[in-house]
Amino acid sequence: MITAERKPLAEIKESIASYKKLLILGCGSCVAECASGGEKETALLASQLRIDAKKEGRTLETKEMTLDRQCVYEFIDQLAGVIGEYDAVLSLGCGAGVQAVAEVFPRAHIVPALNTTFIGQTKQAGLWLENCRGCGDCKLDFFADVCPVTRCSKGLFNGPCGGSKNEKCEVDPDTPCAWQLIVTRLEERGKLDSLEKVHPPARWSKKEGKGPRKIAREDQRT
Amino acid sequence: MNTKKDGLSYAFFFCQQLDAAQDLNRRSLEKELGPRIRFFPLPCSGRIESLHLMRALETGADKVYVIACPERACRHREGNTRARKRVAFAQRLIAEIGLDPDRFEFLVASALPSPSIDKVARELLARESQVDPLPWGNKEREAPKEILRKEKRDDYRGEKAPRRNQREHRLL
Amino acid sequence: MNLESRLKMVLSAGHFAVTAECGPPKGADPDLIRKKGNLLKGFVDSVNVTDNQTGVVRLCSLAACALLREEGLDPVLQMVTRDRNRIALQSDVLGAAALGIRNILCLSGDHQSFGNQTDAKGVFDLDSIQLVQVVREMRDSRRLLGGEELSQGPDLFIGAAANPFADPFFYRVLRLRKKVSAGAEFIQTQCIYNLPKFKEWMGQVRDRGLDQKAYILGGVTPLKSARMAEYMAQNVAGMDIPDEVINRMKSTPPKQQRAEGLKIGVETIQALRQIEGVRGVHIMAIEWEEVVPELVKEAGLWPRPEI
Repeated sequence: MITAERKPLAEIKESIASYKKLLILGCGSCVAECASGGEKETALLASQLRIDAKKEGRTLETKEMTLDRQCVYEFIDQLAGVIGEYDAVLSLGCGAGVQAVAEVFPRAHIVPALNTTFIGQTKQAGLWLENCRGCGDCKLDFFADVCPVTRCSKGLFNGPCGGSKNEKCEVDPDTPCAWQLIVTRLEERGKLDSLEKVHPPARWSKKEGKGPRKIAREDQRT
Repeated sequence: MNTKKDGLSYAFFFCQQLDAAQDLNRRSLEKELGPRIRFFPLPCSGRIESLHLMRALETGADKVYVIACPERACRHREGNTRARKRVAFAQRLIAEIGLDPDRFEFLVASALPSPSIDKVARELLARESQVDPLPWGNKEREAPKEILRKEKRDDYRGEKAPRRNQREHRLL
Repeated sequence: MNLESRLKMVLSAGHFAVTAECGPPKGADPDLIRKKGNLLKGFVDSVNVTDNQTGVVRLCSLAACALLREEGLDPVLQMVTRDRNRIALQSDVLGAAALGIRNILCLSGDHQSFGNQTDAKGVFDLDSIQLVQVVREMRDSRRLLGGEELSQGPDLFIGAAANPFADPFFYRVLRLRKKVSAGAEFIQTQCIYNLPKFKEWMGQVRDRGLDQKAYILGGVTPLKSARMAEYMAQNVAGMDIPDEVINRMKSTPPKQQRAEGLKIGVETIQALRQIEGVRGVHIMAIEWEEVVPELVKEAGLWPRPEI
């Protein structure tokens, strides 16, 4: 899923300083999964901001709403009758959600409450790890299902670099060396010889290409 | 025992396993202190959510206690551990906005069977108050039932997978 | 230009080669490089210039190599893939050759988080092995990545690094083989303190005939002090310093530690000369380049052969 973390409270407060009526908008998908923007987190942030306003003698009226997905118009449309009553929307959606809401309601001020971070997996309760960089040219099959673009700090395709220590990356002793994993897995499967050939340079145009990427499926469009 | 004359308001979240007769036992304090005290019995302390503490504070509690069963005595195994973490999280949230984190306090009962909730509460109330009254003026109060009703709607993350809106949607 | 790589000539003539590393300054003064070059002149066959080592911004390797070339030395351009994309890398390769630089060492580079520009974007468009392949294509087929023809190919002796002490040990030689088949002609290793382990690695290298396909130069870094030994053992990635070496330094009185470190260096070089398949030594005395002439002399490698 896409992971995100709540921005420092000081940043959020600064963005909403002038507002007295706020719609606080959560999202029930990725950010709920990583405990940063779901219904629960929305309620907590709202409560925190209300208490803070009381403490500072400000008026702040809030409404909490959580959409199934903030990046899909079908759900954003639910805000139609509601959004006009508020000075601004504090969105706990990921960057995609914030922007989608802003497109549907361009005159509203949609304030991001989260810093969107990465595509990752839930490794354990409370622990999320990045494992995909959306390179658009998936090579997992060559690397025993360990993504070198994401999990090797240097993105090597012909690693390891030689800097790892105790099977951990030289950059962070908590990060496993991706190439250690790749080589060990292939060895266990008896497929180490697949690494003999030099893996050619990546096609970064699939990622960086021509600006923001898009997918258009004619069979899906009305 | 004398009850607090300092005018502070209190909320007590506690595990029902601590006092089977809590419904009866808490009435005397409820009568004495009226709106200044609220009791929230929980089927397990692990059902506490950080949000409950926030809402209690928001609706006027100057001090919120969460009382759990002793270490390793939780009937649901980890409920009290979970409660401790959630109280700590709520403490961080109020510290972030400049409030004294000690307004939320997590305690474990010393042993089971524990003294009645009345005795426990009175002992806590008799302590020197270490928090000031909340810095804002009028204290709107929601009837205690309000908070618990919300509790039923919350998903209990950690106990089972979050139940999101079940509505299926397909784009085409 | 009709300049030749002295390193290549010395190695192909069968001599035990000596190369040393030279760190460029954190400033724009060319004289600092010239001074270092002249310190080393005559004591080494070639001089490596590091490329923003550990992600610290310094005078670029390409410029420093050009300055050394002017001083009559045979520089080895170290090129990391951390800071430049394939356009810049290939472009700099052409530029290096045009400036008379005849040796290149292809590296991935230390991660940018170690340096003084930690917010920089690490490029890593290519990795070190892909770079070796690209340079070879440019030289031998006169083609860029993608196939376009060059008007003139770069004349470069291609090298790569190897770390016999890194994880996973069983894979190190297989990776070396990859580098050699990609086009690496000479290899400079990480500095050696653990001779038994290095010998083990060289055994595997010889088993695969890699010593016949590429010239292996063993890395040596003289220890200045016991503290340096401990620091390196703990903080430098991929470093293997056995306890015996650290204790040897520690049990030496501080005033004599420098001399002891040099002694260990000399012993290491002499040991390397005895190992079959090792064709030279690469001395990495960063910020201590003054010690190289002494080390080379003590090891019996001076004067350098006439070519």
